[in-house]
Amino acid sequence: MSEITELTHCGPSLCVKFFEHYVFAAYGPLLKIYEYKTGKVVNTCRVLKKNKVHGISIGKSGNILAYGARSVSVFPMSEALKKESVQKYENITTEWITSSEFDYTEKNIYMLTCYNKILVYNLESKSIAIKAVPGERSILYSGSIKVFSDDKAYAVAGTVMNGVIIWDLITEKMFHNLTGHEGAIFNVILSDDGKLIASCSDDRSIKLWDFTTGQELTTGWGHTARIWYLKFFDNDRKLISVSEDCTCRVWSVSRSSTGKIELVQENIIEAHQIKNVWGVDVQESENIAVTSGNDGRIRVIDLAPVSRYGNELQSFSLNELSIKHGIKMEKGEMFKGFQPFKFGLIAATSLGKILMFDQISNSWSLLMTDSRLTSYSIFHGIKEENIAVIANNKSELLVLKLSEDGKTIIKESKLHYDNLSKTINCLVTKFDEKSLFILLESPNPNDQLQGLQLSNNTLEIINEYTFTKPKNFTTSSVAIIENLLIIGSRFSTVGIYSLTKEQKECYLIKGINEGDNITSTTFISKLPNALIFSVTSRDGYYNFIKIHISKTFEIAKHEIIYSNKVARGFLEGSFIDENDDFIIYGFKSSLFYLYNETKCYELASQLCGGAHRQWNFEEFNDYFMLVFIQSSTLHIRRINKLKFPHTLSDGLHGREIRDITIRSSKSYKNGYLFCTGSEDTGIRLSYFDITTNEINTYWFERQHVSGLQTCSFISNNLMISTSAREELFLWKLNTDTEDRPYMNLLQHLPTSMDTPDLRIMDFSVKFIEETVDFVLATIYSDSTIKIWYYNSDENKFKLIIGGRYETCCLTNANFVTLNQKLYCVVTPTDGYIVVYNITEAIQFELSESNTLVNNEKDLTQTALPMYETRIRVHQSGIKSMDTQVLDNTLKVYTTGDDNAIGLTIFKLDTSTKKLEGITNSFIERANASTITSCSLFNNNSKLLTTSVDQIVKIYDISNDQLDLINERYTTIADTGSCDTIDLSDGSSRLLIGGVGFSLWKWTQ
Amino acid sequence: MGKSSKDKRDVYYRKAKELGYRARSAFKLLQLNEQFHFLDDPNLKRVVDLCAAPGSWSQVLSKTMFKGIKESEVTEDDERKIVAVDLQPMSPIDHVTRLQADITHPRTLNKILELFNNSKADFVCSDGAPDVTGLHDLDEYVQQQLIMSALQLTTCILKEGGIFVAKIFRGRDINLLYTQLGYLFEQVICAKPRSSRGTSLEAFIVCIGYIPPKGWQPKLDENISVQEFFQGLKTDSKNQPRVIERYYEEERNIAEFMSCGGLQSFDSDATYHYDVVAALSDVSLDPVQSPTSPAYKKDS
Repeated sequence: MSEITELTHCGPSLCVKFFEHYVFAAYGPLLKIYEYKTGKVVNTCRVLKKNKVHGISIGKSGNILAYGARSVSVFPMSEALKKESVQKYENITTEWITSSEFDYTEKNIYMLTCYNKILVYNLESKSIAIKAVPGERSILYSGSIKVFSDDKAYAVAGTVMNGVIIWDLITEKMFHNLTGHEGAIFNVILSDDGKLIASCSDDRSIKLWDFTTGQELTTGWGHTARIWYLKFFDNDRKLISVSEDCTCRVWSVSRSSTGKIELVQENIIEAHQIKNVWGVDVQESENIAVTSGNDGRIRVIDLAPVSRYGNELQSFSLNELSIKHGIKMEKGEMFKGFQPFKFGLIAATSLGKILMFDQISNSWSLLMTDSRLTSYSIFHGIKEENIAVIANNKSELLVLKLSEDGKTIIKESKLHYDNLSKTINCLVTKFDEKSLFILLESPNPNDQLQGLQLSNNTLEIINEYTFTKPKNFTTSSVAIIENLLIIGSRFSTVGIYSLTKEQKECYLIKGINEGDNITSTTFISKLPNALIFSVTSRDGYYNFIKIHISKTFEIAKHEIIYSNKVARGFLEGSFIDENDDFIIYGFKSSLFYLYNETKCYELASQLCGGAHRQWNFEEFNDYFMLVFIQSSTLHIRRINKLKFPHTLSDGLHGREIRDITIRSSKSYKNGYLFCTGSEDTGIRLSYFDITTNEINTYWFERQHVSGLQTCSFISNNLMISTSAREELFLWKLNTDTEDRPYMNLLQHLPTSMDTPDLRIMDFSVKFIEETVDFVLATIYSDSTIKIWYYNSDENKFKLIIGGRYETCCLTNANFVTLNQKLYCVVTPTDGYIVVYNITEAIQFELSESNTLVNNEKDLTQTALPMYETRIRVHQSGIKSMDTQVLDNTLKVYTTGDDNAIGLTIFKLDTSTKKLEGITNSFIERANASTITSCSLFNNNSKLLTTSVDQIVKIYDISNDQLDLINERYTTIADTGSCDTIDLSDGSSRLLIGGVGFSLWKWTQ
Repeated sequence: MGKSSKDKRDVYYRKAKELGYRARSAFKLLQLNEQFHFLDDPNLKRVVDLCAAPGSWSQVLSKTMFKGIKESEVTEDDERKIVAVDLQPMSPIDHVTRLQADITHPRTLNKILELFNNSKADFVCSDGAPDVTGLHDLDEYVQQQLIMSALQLTTCILKEGGIFVAKIFRGRDINLLYTQLGYLFEQVICAKPRSSRGTSLEAFIVCIGYIPPKGWQPKLDENISVQEFFQGLKTDSKNQPRVIERYYEEERNIAEFMSCGGLQSFDSDATYHYDVVAALSDVSLDPVQSPTSPAYKKDS
């Protein structure tokens, strides 16, 4: 007997609830319980057999009520916290349950069905009563029940016909049918005091209504898509909403002096990816919210980002400094630069005043005045050392070392650097534990770059450096990593100098991307003979660069091991946080943003007017400090680090996973790397651990512009992905470093036209013996088949065979070799398996062991021959195919849109010398819906299939028959992809994708 | 189907415009008919198109039943009648009586019967689909409720042996629907026309040979739900679902699958090149039907 166990599930979460120090989140039929302070998962408990949990309510008595579709269940919290399943408590009813609540005694349950009826039943699952109001039969998309007392309970129901029906579920008396929305109502709730009704709709608005009069009070606009869920909090003074637009918004319910009620949008949080935030709850004592979304993420949100510890956004004009802080300012005097420190801030004015801001007392004081800094100054500093460096354009510098509290200048150094008559840029970085480094650049392009190493204690010059400046080089950032000076320049160029060598020649990495300023350089990791650092570019690109260095710090070569672009305006800097996540920051329209790029969520944002202003950003232990000038006023924003984890679950894709591929040829750490390609146009590179079963995502690749069709590893370190618009990308995986794997776009396939509109439906690869070159077959939505040769030395694809099947779309392709012949097996949407013999057409020879040999011929393009054979297996499109060559036969497993699965065996007909196929095994009604994917596993003796009906099946195929041995329901809707891997212990892992992702274990 | 469509690659879209159909879905009914020939039956007289707007199925019904006959040429005593029902308004179509009405309301039933001179229908179809939310289970449920609402009316109006055709989405619970339909029809087939994309879950149930169970009297009542309507369909009283009970596995049957339209017809998943498309027509086509109540006409 074989067995399947579900190990990990990640998919849409439809509802979340706080209770004491827990967060309860529904994942399909499961309830996952977290401690929100630590992020620890307390338990995962199966609540329903198949149906998804759409809502939960927690009673005072310690019972939990969960419902979804036609299922409802009441179970003790103590069991939910400990047990694997409470499914035995599940009840089923005849109609969809829109909402459910305990009654006042908590001995009975009220259930609002989609036909606007209330079913009352008790904890022994006995029906007690059915309540309804006559004549209202329109189907409901939403509704809720509010219980005030034994004899006071209301149902509020939102219909598809734009109405909101309010009725007393005890007396069955209808109060109002509120019309005003345009479009279906997706949620409607009553306030805790029972005075207000809030509803949200297809029309993207939120409306407040007076419960007593039924009068429409106000409409809140802001969301850019449908709104799914609402919740009142703060004694009904606030409302929180979540939407299809990925945001969570906080509204204040304000009452004007005339008594008019208004909804004022207070805060917008971009909480989830691509589409749909489904659930939200608020923990008022902590002032935090939790949201759940289609991407499977559980996000914790700070509801008081700018007021948690007081006033976290402060603004000061120079005039105010004169009046309130007694620092006399001249007319027209301006802030010219500033640097955040632990104690607060040091700023310089256009008249050379050096000011100190103490963030504890919120007071400003004048430290000194240096008239040399009048009109032009560049301000930098080393925050850890309390050192500020200010330069003017005449190569004059002021270096200050300040006391812990910033109130006194411990050391002051005024320098004039004689080697340069003028400076246009001055950059500062940490040199080592004891010193800092100042880089000065002259406006004259023929002048060399000058460097100064200063002691942190004495501020005396330890060493001076001169570096040759490459052509067209304009400094924009500086960093010192392991005796290497790395200077970022305009035109996406980086110059590297060895500080130990006499000769200060530059190792230049030119034009990494399209060509904006390099804004920052971050050290990532060190290898025996190499270094990895990341650079950010203002236009949104960031790159991870590996440089190979000798013992004498000679740079041999460099390699860009990762490159990606953020779709968020200007990218100004990056760092690696304590969880090893890659954090970036910059400007997007009028906002400054701080974004976790590894996990794909925003950490904070601040309205500041945009990138074109003076600003500075520094990280401290518990907070970040952003300082910027807007309208001549200096603003200081303290961004507190949330004391709880930002996510309780990171989530995966916001939309359907279209393909999964495991890098099965080689393990990684204690598990395997895998890629998921999604309808959201992204590819994620993730890892699953075979012991803990945890999933960890490293990167989100954004290079595709349309939804993914396929992705597949073709070797240890190469992966190919395809999508519409004729996109086929070849990726290189790099797992040499300890820190994280990297996957970089190596090449893309040439397209047949400038504005391609064909979809590359599938591909197949056959390597050329003893090389990393390969032959690639691509099939298209217009019936085209192309064979390419990839030359790894040149990193180029060359078209070698081209042709067309008929006019219908092609869906799957596989190369197979058999009897020293190379075949390409293709399936179209007409239900045939089509076999092309391309042995003659391809200009590579086949060895006796059926491998391709490069015979160094000049490759020319040839025509695709007519197919050798074809056989009709399915009624309509073949959705997936897997192939196997065994004992001189070719076995083709196909699954179809016709709910069927087939095994077709091809053998060489000795008289015609051609392959002939017969369908050996065919199951007509294998599933109730399209069978979307299949994969051979367990040493090719089993076949896994997935179908949209969510029944996963496993067939034993060892006897050339399809013998069903396992079937199991998956909670992943729109099930569309799978991959498998056999482990050394004889078990296999099955990865199943759709709207979400599941990891299963199969054992014999 | 406006002047600019997202899916220019779609040949059916162009073909529909050229032939004057209001939506590409017209081909779905035509291809279903190619397989089942239900519209070619010379005895086909009374036909109901539910959830009919914008009206492409009604157009197909009109064209096949009144081939080449002008509306003015139809005589008083002609038994052939097409009734199209929808909550939305619909532009006129020759030979089609439009009813802007709720299919669940008894009044609608009475109106149709009146138009049919109290005779029953030979054929009922529905190409209706609700707006989707993205919650797969809810969307599928609402679609099935829509089919069941159509089926409610159908059971009251369809003659014994009649045919019912409706759009479905082959999701998780589709086999529950097949099971229900199995109680009412001799044959239930899941048909997929070539003009319906392979990437879409859309398919059509073709229910042939209406046989209401003996003793079961369908009766439309605005105050009873769809579930209540179909209660008693199963004669086995032990299997009558109670309002609430412990979870149990429901009976699920898989219907026979049939691909329709023939391999020579266009593949809706394929990208066709200009030469193929040009063979159809290369003129810029205006929308066939102007919107009946466009959003831009409303005050906002």
